[in-house]
Amino acid sequence: MNTKLSYDIIGLTLFAGVILFGVPALFSYDGFELNTFSRYLSLAIVSMALALSWGTTGLLNLGQAATFGMGSYAMAMHLKLKASGDGLPDFMGWNNVETLPLIWGPFQSLTFTLLAGLLIPAAVGGLIAIFMFRARIAGVFVAIITLAFLVAFQLLVIEQQGLTGGQNGLTGLAQLVLFGWKIDIYSVSFYYMVGGCLMAALIFGLYLTHSKFGLVLRAIREDAERTRYFGYNVANYQTVIFCISAGLAGWAGMLYALVLEFASPTYMSVSFSLAIVIWCAVGGRESVLAAAVGAILVNLAEGRLSDVFVEGWHMILGVMFLVVVMFMPRGIYGLLVDAGRALRRKPASTKEALPFDTPLNPKQES
Amino acid sequence: MSQLQVRDLQVTFGGLRAVDGMDFDVAQGEILCLLGPNGAGKSTTLDLICGKTQPTGGSIRFQDTEISRMLEFQRARLGIGRKFQVPSVYKELTVAENLSVARSMKPGIWHALTHPAIRRSSKMQDILDLVGLQDKMGEPAGNLSHGETQWLEIAMLIAQDSRLILMDEPTAGMTIQETERTARIFRSLSANHTLIVVEHDMSFVRTVADRIIVMNQGSKLAEGTIQEIEANEAVKTAYLGH
Amino acid sequence: MDVVFNQAFAGLSIASILLIIALGLAIIYGTMGVINLAHGEFVMLGAYATWALQTYAGLGVVTALPLVFVAVAAVGWIIEKVIVQRLYTRPLDTILATWGIGIILQQAVRLGVGADSRFVSGPHWLSGNIEIGALVMSNYRLFVIAFSIMVLGATWLLMTRTEFGMKLRAVIQNRGISECYGIEAKNVYSVTFAYGAGLAGIAGALITPLFSTIPTMGTGLVVDAFLVVIVGGLGSLMGTAAAALLIGEVTALFSIVINDTLGRIAVLAGIILLIRFRPRGLFPSDIRH
Repeated sequence: MNTKLSYDIIGLTLFAGVILFGVPALFSYDGFELNTFSRYLSLAIVSMALALSWGTTGLLNLGQAATFGMGSYAMAMHLKLKASGDGLPDFMGWNNVETLPLIWGPFQSLTFTLLAGLLIPAAVGGLIAIFMFRARIAGVFVAIITLAFLVAFQLLVIEQQGLTGGQNGLTGLAQLVLFGWKIDIYSVSFYYMVGGCLMAALIFGLYLTHSKFGLVLRAIREDAERTRYFGYNVANYQTVIFCISAGLAGWAGMLYALVLEFASPTYMSVSFSLAIVIWCAVGGRESVLAAAVGAILVNLAEGRLSDVFVEGWHMILGVMFLVVVMFMPRGIYGLLVDAGRALRRKPASTKEALPFDTPLNPKQES
Repeated sequence: MSQLQVRDLQVTFGGLRAVDGMDFDVAQGEILCLLGPNGAGKSTTLDLICGKTQPTGGSIRFQDTEISRMLEFQRARLGIGRKFQVPSVYKELTVAENLSVARSMKPGIWHALTHPAIRRSSKMQDILDLVGLQDKMGEPAGNLSHGETQWLEIAMLIAQDSRLILMDEPTAGMTIQETERTARIFRSLSANHTLIVVEHDMSFVRTVADRIIVMNQGSKLAEGTIQEIEANEAVKTAYLGH
Repeated sequence: MDVVFNQAFAGLSIASILLIIALGLAIIYGTMGVINLAHGEFVMLGAYATWALQTYAGLGVVTALPLVFVAVAAVGWIIEKVIVQRLYTRPLDTILATWGIGIILQQAVRLGVGADSRFVSGPHWLSGNIEIGALVMSNYRLFVIAFSIMVLGATWLLMTRTEFGMKLRAVIQNRGISECYGIEAKNVYSVTFAYGAGLAGIAGALITPLFSTIPTMGTGLVVDAFLVVIVGGLGSLMGTAAAALLIGEVTALFSIVINDTLGRIAVLAGIILLIRFRPRGLFPSDIRH
């Protein structure tokens, strides 16, 4: 077993210990306190999903919030239908919608909803990926295309009031009944359910990064062109990781809609997408575990500090982000790696802190 | 039957005919050297064979398959490997990881998803021994010296195990000893691989080349063994300008 | 038909503002490859500077223009020196860093001035309209259109007829060689970034009488301006001008046919398709390889 893998396993075990035992004990198993933490854990999933596409493969997806939002709407649509009984969801009446729109129908089914919250975002991510990567779009252009998609998608959701509840989103949701278990989001068991999802996502993410697949992704990040000459279909690899990342984001969105008990177009806003990038960058974009920790730490800080500095929090966030991008591009993870290396070996060989951008692909024709 | 057949190959860059009607064959197990002054179209010829550049005309057949319209990765899967003039290894990956990426007999996603990033194998150990990097397995390639980087890329090509290997100036920046060692490796490679080598170092070419093609202004000026080339009047004129 | 003419005129005045914003963005992107996501906040700073000059010093919008240009250019110059300059080798990170700068500027204004809308009155001597049949053209909008053409001309002269422009084009083509000939690429970059920021500031000043001034006003504008840059193609001033006209008009006329939101969605879809199929824009120049 190589050392990287053993460090990741140790890290994951520590993290699992803190999340599954430490945090509940700290809050003396109080469901209301743990509910706030469930929110952080669901956000950790979307942050680790971004680490897969951005940190590992070098594809900065600024539209991560769009697929996150899709997941949250899938869940909210199901719960809205449950809350409306045999009638139409209330907001549809206000918008003069008289029959249930076709795409709402299947969300009566829980199985369909769970699958849709995972697979629709994955499919959308995959389509965007095929569209971009077949043409060998790379670098900043990936960021711009995904950002433009996000803005367009959010506008569309707000515009289609009769379908989506528009600016207000979907509120007044029922409690989720998961195969006979009525979920109380202020219970300890709900916290463990979200925690379990996060652990599963992390184990999956770590598996990916330690497989040959993950290695090829890192090779693509560094030099996509070179990787093609070894016979790898780079566009397919990029598409698959985009799909996986989008699917995980959708899953996180479903949990988030459960925790907050509503779905809102603000989940698909540019600033939410930026927030995901910030968490991932602060924790460390190269490691799925670090990205998850980053999401929890930043949100914890936000929860504590935004009470003290109501107005100034966004300022603090902006400054923090700028400092991380400029001076510690590998995030907290990078600091730990460097510290570990300095402890283990002669401090001379610190040829590190390389930037992780893919250079603009010069071959943009075709 | 020749392994690679190039017929009337042409490419134009904004009016400049970089390669203009190249015709040649390469036999299985042969080492072919491309010589010629700067700008003669040697590297471009390699680019056309590996798919970096699309030809504007002509045909390239590899093992009886027309490849001139294929994408790079498809050609690589058929068995064409390429070493670039500037050593291009993955600097952020370790030596072992670089070799693992290069070992790409099964480049599909499913295989990659179900196998670990690095698998120790005796073959990998043999390759590392051959190029003398066995102690640097866990070192990021960015920490290697220039010579070691060249070796690593050669090791990667051996690991890739392509039937046809295209080498662009493999000995650039090497010492005399290193060049000799490279020549020995190339000779041993030719048992199972076909090589097309662009090189300026004439002593290296003398040692390794089975056959030489001299290019000038995008087309073939002369072809033959080293003795035939050295006796060729047209080559002397092109090189010495008489 | 009257509606179409009036919308076309409105489109022209939108286009002229977009042009000034996009020129700055295009110069910065064309020169150093930096996608400046803080550009919208430079527009916002220009607007607030104009508001402050009118409220506290009693200056009119037009009189304030040179002061606003200098002030926002100075902010841009400092940001380039302190932050952007460190990130030239990391293009993806410049996107993130300029985004961060944008947030900080926005929050700074919100904390310093407040989140309420501010209003700036247009110059008296430009109040009133010119009417041709049913077409009503406000004098102020006509002034904005004329002014944007002047800015375009001045930028063109700066690029092609001055020593600075010569150095700039040299650096764009090959930074290494230019430095060998004694051109300080760093300084060229700083000045370029400052000039681009100053242009954004001017645009911000010009829109104050037309729109209300709020801290988030730049966010939407930067998307449109970026679209103009992409459509216009890199390194081509005339391409940028043509693209601004095209997008201003398309946006204005779209909003008659379908509603504003769907118009914007169509515009964004346009960006995506264009990057995919014509990454060098509709009017590419041959300067940059």
